[in-house]
Amino acid sequence: MDFFVQVLIDGLMNGAIYGLVAAGLSLIWGVMDVINFAHGEFLMVAMYTCYWIGMLVGLDPLFSWVLTGAFLFFLSAGSYKFIVRRSIGKAAMAPLLATFGLSIFLKNFCLNRFTPNFRLLSGTSLEGKVTHIFGAIVSQPKLVTAIFSLVMLCVLHYMIKKTRIGRAIQATAMDREAAELMGVDTERIFTLVFGIGGMCVGIAGGFMTSYLAVFPEVGALFSLIAFVVVALGGFGSIPGALCAALLIGLVESFAGFYIAPVMKYVAVFALYLAVVLVRPKGLFGW
Amino acid sequence: MLVKSKAVKFFLVLVFVLAVSSASFAAEKIIKIGTIFPHTGPAAVSGQNCVAAVETAVEFINNKYDWEGFPLAQKEGLLDGYKIVLVNADHQGKPDIAKSEAERLYEEEGVFAIIGCYNSSSSKPASAVAERLEKIFMCGASSSAELTERGFNYFFRTAATDAIESAEFGEYIEHLNKEKGTNLTTLGLIYENSEFGKHAADEGKKVAAKMGINVVADIPFTVGATNMDSEIQTLKAANPDVVFGAALGGDYSLMVRTMKQSNWASKIFINYCTGYQNPAINKELGADSSYYMGGMGYSPEIAEVYMKAALPAQEIYRAKTGFPLDSDSIQETVCLHVLAQAIEKAGVLNTEKVVEILRTETFDSPLSLSGKVAFAPGGQNSKAFTVITQLLDLKYRTVFPASYADSELIYPFPAWDKR
Repeated sequence: MDFFVQVLIDGLMNGAIYGLVAAGLSLIWGVMDVINFAHGEFLMVAMYTCYWIGMLVGLDPLFSWVLTGAFLFFLSAGSYKFIVRRSIGKAAMAPLLATFGLSIFLKNFCLNRFTPNFRLLSGTSLEGKVTHIFGAIVSQPKLVTAIFSLVMLCVLHYMIKKTRIGRAIQATAMDREAAELMGVDTERIFTLVFGIGGMCVGIAGGFMTSYLAVFPEVGALFSLIAFVVVALGGFGSIPGALCAALLIGLVESFAGFYIAPVMKYVAVFALYLAVVLVRPKGLFGW
Repeated sequence: MLVKSKAVKFFLVLVFVLAVSSASFAAEKIIKIGTIFPHTGPAAVSGQNCVAAVETAVEFINNKYDWEGFPLAQKEGLLDGYKIVLVNADHQGKPDIAKSEAERLYEEEGVFAIIGCYNSSSSKPASAVAERLEKIFMCGASSSAELTERGFNYFFRTAATDAIESAEFGEYIEHLNKEKGTNLTTLGLIYENSEFGKHAADEGKKVAAKMGINVVADIPFTVGATNMDSEIQTLKAANPDVVFGAALGGDYSLMVRTMKQSNWASKIFINYCTGYQNPAINKELGADSSYYMGGMGYSPEIAEVYMKAALPAQEIYRAKTGFPLDSDSIQETVCLHVLAQAIEKAGVLNTEKVVEILRTETFDSPLSLSGKVAFAPGGQNSKAFTVITQLLDLKYRTVFPASYADSELIYPFPAWDKR
């Protein structure tokens, strides 16, 4: 029973974190129909940013996530303005290749600047702390990251559904020309969406630095899982991303413990294939 | 007309410069040695250390150093003034790239030999290229025993294999059970799902079967995993007395941190060639790196007592990386040092003659714990030898064999919440 609760909580926490990592990707993909291949590298940059803020200024990830979120907002929006925008409307593969190029640049830039060494931010306020929930040992840094991910996803969902800017984003996603006719500056919306996408992964990366080693390859598997989350949840749907992420977290955790650890990612991708076959638009896609 | 005349002058200058530079290259006495390591990808940190280790050997072979009892150091270059020049390639941790880079280095760059590839999975296809082309392939830290069981003629490995290490781990468990009454009867294996990890685990299982130890957990994991919760929970549920680990780099640090978070540890935890041997990773883990164990052919602490001649070479390496030599990367230094000695003994740059010497002679190696290197048929260094260490406060303390031990084992692994 102890292990069941432990596996359940681990799965939910990992799922919530995947949710926030994937939310930005989902938004960009859903609104702009652009696959951001640099998403994993944005996560890596966020983690390096938080790590260096912690090392140089001594600011804890509990606070520095604000700075990493803001930095990634501008980095992502800038990437759209100066790279992605120029590739939209050209060859079909151009935006995809542009973000792929950006991912290679970011990874190699960090490799060159920071070496491939694995860096762990030590001395954080939550380091090594655990909480006991129904007999399960829960890492506090991970728990805080998971709870904050859920809060952020709720805020993002509220913003898209209930605010004026959110409605403009939805209108742009549904029909760009009609939105422009209604006076929506779609170019600004695209920049904003890219920025918000970066901000989500920036905040996730900021928190994750409190328990995960930072190195140039850290984003690779996270971005792959984020793609699965988006496709499973439905493009552009934040609740879809959250549900898919929690489902993936649970499948990964239960398959990893009750079948075999080596099967955890096999089960995740098998689930993805099954959903794509049965419901290609994803669980919450339109 | 003026433009045309300028173009002609420019062309003449260009021809002159090219002629002079090619003449100077032709006059230069160089031996090109290729290296193939993971400069990028998940094992990049170890790969870049390996490159620095080979460069260390180039430094003391090409230049003159007043080091007593250190072959080739007191002489400048090889043969009658040849200098070694490295041609580096990055396999990114991908076997197919290692293979194509080996082909490029031998056929296009014309290297005399290749040193590589750190990852056993990459050393395997790259050395197959060498065998096909009848060129020398020197292998340092790739530990898969299978590499030297293929009967290759041009493949030479200096490090101990995971079979040798497993046997030593088994011997140590037997010693603890007999001498200390530890009653270690169950084994867990956690290893990356790769050529290296799978072979290490296979060797671990063989030793367990031989000793009558029950394998209660067999856990391969995905390299670069986002978390290791399932893996550690599975280990915790099986609760083995001993764990053999084969996790590199970031996976090693994630494994250690997840074990801490789960508040679980086996009574002893012994590592193959993994993140345990990397001082940079242990420095990042800080106090959490303590009490883990591993097989090692070198550590700064061992060198202070048994390998004093290696210490000046370590300083060259430290200047390049900021860290002392580690048990893995030093094997790449040994590779080039031994190859250079073989070339010097052959007296000529002829692959067959150098191979013959590598096969038949014993080499002095101040950078090896045994002090010697000699290759058995198949290319395994028959003098390869490791000790078992335990890390405490970032210092490697030798605990086995008794003739090398400088410390008592801290047993069992202290509970995380009671430290």
